[in-house]
Amino acid sequence: MRHLFIRDGILLRSILVTILAFVLVGIATVAYTMQIAREQAEQQSRVRLEQLLDTVQSTLRVACFVKDRELAREVASGLLSNTEVLRVTIHENGQILADVQRGNASPISGNEPRGSLMRTIHSPFIESDVIGRIHLTPDPAVIEGRIRDDIIDRTLQLAWQLALIAGAMVVTLLAFIIHPISAMSRNLHRMDPTAGDRLPVPPGHGNTEIGRLAGDVNALATRLVQALEEEHALRLRGELDEQKYHAIFNNAESGIFIVERGGRIASWNPALARLLGIAGAEEFAGELQLTALSWEKPEAVGELIAGVFATKMPATLDALLLRPAHAHRWLNLVLSPVGNDILQGVAHDVSALKEAEAAARRQAMTDPLTGLANRASLEQQLQSRIRQHHQHPGSGFTLLHVDLDKFRLITEGVGVPAGDEILRAIAGRLSATVKSNDTLARLSADIFAVMLQNLNDDETIDKVIERLTGSLRQPYLIDGSPIQLTASIGITLFPSDGSDAPSLLRHAELACDKAKASGGNQSAFFDPTLAEAAEQRRHMENDLRQAVREQQFVLYYQPIAELANHRVAGAEALIRWRHPERGLIPPDHFIPIVEQSGLINEIGLWVLETACAQLAAWQAAGSTHYLSINVSGRQIPHGLPPAAIADALARHGVEPGRLAVEITEGILLNNISEAQSWLHAVQQLGIPVYLDDFGTGYSSLSYLKRFPLDTLKIDRAFVQDMQPGNSEHSLVEAIIAMARSLGLKVVAEGVENAAQMKMLGAMGCHYGQGYFLSRPMPADEFAESAKDIDRRLAMPDDGR
Amino acid sequence: MRPATCALLILALLTGSGAQADPVVVVPARLGVEKLSHEEVTNIFMGRFRALPSGAPALPIDQPPGSPLRTLFYQRLVNKDQASINAYWSRLHFSGKATPPLQASSETQVIQQLLTRPGAIAYLERSQVDARLRIVFEFPP
Repeated sequence: MRHLFIRDGILLRSILVTILAFVLVGIATVAYTMQIAREQAEQQSRVRLEQLLDTVQSTLRVACFVKDRELAREVASGLLSNTEVLRVTIHENGQILADVQRGNASPISGNEPRGSLMRTIHSPFIESDVIGRIHLTPDPAVIEGRIRDDIIDRTLQLAWQLALIAGAMVVTLLAFIIHPISAMSRNLHRMDPTAGDRLPVPPGHGNTEIGRLAGDVNALATRLVQALEEEHALRLRGELDEQKYHAIFNNAESGIFIVERGGRIASWNPALARLLGIAGAEEFAGELQLTALSWEKPEAVGELIAGVFATKMPATLDALLLRPAHAHRWLNLVLSPVGNDILQGVAHDVSALKEAEAAARRQAMTDPLTGLANRASLEQQLQSRIRQHHQHPGSGFTLLHVDLDKFRLITEGVGVPAGDEILRAIAGRLSATVKSNDTLARLSADIFAVMLQNLNDDETIDKVIERLTGSLRQPYLIDGSPIQLTASIGITLFPSDGSDAPSLLRHAELACDKAKASGGNQSAFFDPTLAEAAEQRRHMENDLRQAVREQQFVLYYQPIAELANHRVAGAEALIRWRHPERGLIPPDHFIPIVEQSGLINEIGLWVLETACAQLAAWQAAGSTHYLSINVSGRQIPHGLPPAAIADALARHGVEPGRLAVEITEGILLNNISEAQSWLHAVQQLGIPVYLDDFGTGYSSLSYLKRFPLDTLKIDRAFVQDMQPGNSEHSLVEAIIAMARSLGLKVVAEGVENAAQMKMLGAMGCHYGQGYFLSRPMPADEFAESAKDIDRRLAMPDDGR
Repeated sequence: MRPATCALLILALLTGSGAQADPVVVVPARLGVEKLSHEEVTNIFMGRFRALPSGAPALPIDQPPGSPLRTLFYQRLVNKDQASINAYWSRLHFSGKATPPLQASSETQVIQQLLTRPGAIAYLERSQVDARLRIVFEFPP
């Protein structure tokens, strides 16, 4: 039981409170009881005295009426015999008839004692007549005694009632609260919630507060156990994560570190220590300031830190770390905010990258072959020079565009390595010729540029050009044999010929083109009309692109007649441009541009397609006419692959022998082996190959043997000027004879009259083509015209 | 004494039936008392005072016991019957302080005593009053 009376325990407290409450209740009750008891005692005493008086009333009346002292005394003595009465006084109209008092009491004087009784005495005969009064003084000691007894009784009663209640309460408390609670407490001490122990509900407390408390405790225990388990799992996972991250941190190749607001590095990994060449975080003595490291620009690092703190956005910086005894090191720093006052930093060694970048930049600026500046570098220098001029206007400069004449032929002859050697030699000669502050550049294979500083009067320029060309003209010794070389030079002046680098370069090139077009080995100043022409060409090029898109081209057909049987055998397809504003444009106005711009391939394929379609149409109409199409050197070999021709023929169902291709000597000159294999492939398809404009160029007889040709077309120049007996006549005759001996057919172009026709026929020429037969015409006129020609030719000795 | 009582009762019945008028209180005319109040008469006859208003001692005289007049008188005076009056007096008997009225043996003796004894006061029938006597109190009708 000792544990029930824990100091400050419920039982002790309850008992104390109960006792205190009972004492208070007792005191209040006793006080109240005393008051009530006194009043009751006095009331009862009065009632008894009144009753006592009633018994002697008539005698009193008589005694008073006759003023009989004897009788009055007798009555008073009788009253006094009652123990409660202390004194009796009888008055008759102011005169005391009797005054008796209990012997042992001290005479009462002065104030009427508490509870004393006075009654008037009436005449026995006249009720309204008051004749005297009687005073009856009760004995207070007797009343007090009564009261005392009463109070003692009630107090005793109250005391045992309260004691009973208190006892009951204690028992109840013990049985229903203290005992279960202390049992629970004992169980709780022994309980191990993690082992699954739970608090048993005390017997009989299934639905009481105690029972619910036990339930709550169990629920709490369950939750706590759950929380503990979760926490434990979390901690385990956290430890694992931490180990993992620690390993990453320690083994990372990148430097990882934490920077505080002041720039202090709070912690860093071994990789950073290696990168910075400092001790590890554990051994490092003192504070490590990021900005205090030996950066080339510490203020940039400081700004990076401040910037990241200000914007709360990650930022990066490549900073050069100066290391006295070692090579300088480029570090890429990435700082990201991870809290209000902390940045997480990562540092990479980007020295190799920076080195590579620098090398690439150097490479980008120089020409590897000659070591001269390249085009980009020249442009940059031009721009900076122009900027300088705008800031401090002074004398301008001169830009030369130097293009070697026919260098390609030379490399083809001597080989690329020897060509490179020549280029290096040229670079050396140019350097020797110009001043040290002038700039030399190699723009492409055989094109050089020279920027002559502070030079823009024509006379001096002429002198410099003279020196340059003279120097370049000296023979180059390759494998002991001298090689002669000339150059075309375009000259532009800044600021008069162009205000920016691109236009200066373009204008110099235009001037050079003009020099080259004039035969090369000379120089030309830039002339604004050149730019105008170039502009027109550019315009034309745009129009042509649009023409290709909108199919503004059309094929015209010029009949070719077989002289032996006086019939149209076929036609040459000639392209025309139906310009929406300028009308029909002949090919010589636009084909050069088409060839330069690369549009030639698209147009060539369109021509092939259209020609095949036309052949198919003729075939369907029962005609046996063949058709030849012109192929430019630019289309060989990839612009018009033999496979594409085969495909077109197959798609349109055209026999290969009815399509012919016309090429010029230029094709054979450009790339002999490629041209050869292309021609072989085409001939393999069964397509005849015509050599156009024969007699105007080299007209090398070796071509005729080396290339698989079927037909020669004699250039109109010879045919037109043919007169019996003149040299043209002999030349044509010789060509025809030669061709026939080689097994080649011959087409004479530019036949303009019957006489020519007749002469050609006499020479044994196979075919004729020209205005005498017909001009080139659209497809829809061709059939009619061919019939007409056939008719005309059939008539012997046409009058025309 | 029994035959006498019977005789008195008969007499009383006779006289009573003959003349039942209220008694009047009289004193000798020479006494010099004019009037008495009902209270004064009661005080004198019931033993409270034995004096006249003038201060002269008063001597009340009762009619003989059994007299109808006596009964009537007390009935009218204090509204009590004869037994109550007797009990009253017997209660005072032992103290000796107050004494009942002088008791005449007959009606004639009443008048005789009235005339002879100083301060005598008595009640009579009105018809018995003559010049020697003076009515000092009459019961209101």
